[in-house]
Amino acid sequence: MSFFFFFLFAAILIAASLAVVYARNPLYNVLALVVTIFALSCLFVTLEAFFVGMILLLVYAGAVLVFFLFVVICLNLNTAGRQQASPWLFQGLGTLAGMLFAGSFALALMSFFKAQAIPASNLRGTIEAVGKILFTDYLLPFEMTSLLLLVAVFGIVSLAQGALSTGKDEAL
Amino acid sequence: MISLGHYLILSGIVFSIGLIGVTTSRNVLKVLLSLELLLAASNLSFVAFSKFNGDYAGQLIVFFVILVAAAEVAIGLAIIVLMYRRLSTIQADELKEMKW
Repeated sequence: MSFFFFFLFAAILIAASLAVVYARNPLYNVLALVVTIFALSCLFVTLEAFFVGMILLLVYAGAVLVFFLFVVICLNLNTAGRQQASPWLFQGLGTLAGMLFAGSFALALMSFFKAQAIPASNLRGTIEAVGKILFTDYLLPFEMTSLLLLVAVFGIVSLAQGALSTGKDEAL
Repeated sequence: MISLGHYLILSGIVFSIGLIGVTTSRNVLKVLLSLELLLAASNLSFVAFSKFNGDYAGQLIVFFVILVAAAEVAIGLAIIVLMYRRLSTIQADELKEMKW
């Protein structure tokens, strides 16, 4: 049963991530990423990481990707047909990165059968279990994320202010 | 039975798709979306390691990665909107101001 679900969600994940990269319309890119996040969250549930899976759905599919959609709609991006051939430098860099990655991928394939011997633990990522560790061992990083979000808010506000003032300057 | 290797290979496939997207697309928005794919792939391997290692640390790292990604997306989209206002395009090769 878990075998079936793994391959179902893995197929959805790969197909949707291909659509993220290769779909022409930016709107479809964002919607494909929503599907990707859904499939990923289902895979987390097959790994019994319930809390992280739900957080992924709520924060990612619910908030972050809607934000993406807002930007795509507001900017009215119609870049279909404006696809340019990438310069040789970027193609070279991309090929190099791909080859490096293929090397490490081959290593992962070689250790595939060794990894088959590792049994799954009976760890269940419920809210209670994850929350207990989050508020004891990982309390300091957890509090520091609030600082990070504060800095992000400051950054966005200052960027938006800059946008407003430059807009005025250009109008004058 | 599904083993750790299955999850790692799936994560590797998604990561390489995202890497192709980041390195080859000219649209800045698409680069940001592909970056999200990279984060998603690494999240998958973190959770898989957490399950097969019997340690909650992997799931907590995923929690923090989601938080950092949310901040990154907010700043990144603000920059994209600014870029669109200034250049009225979001093609990466139109950004020539910082060339020397």
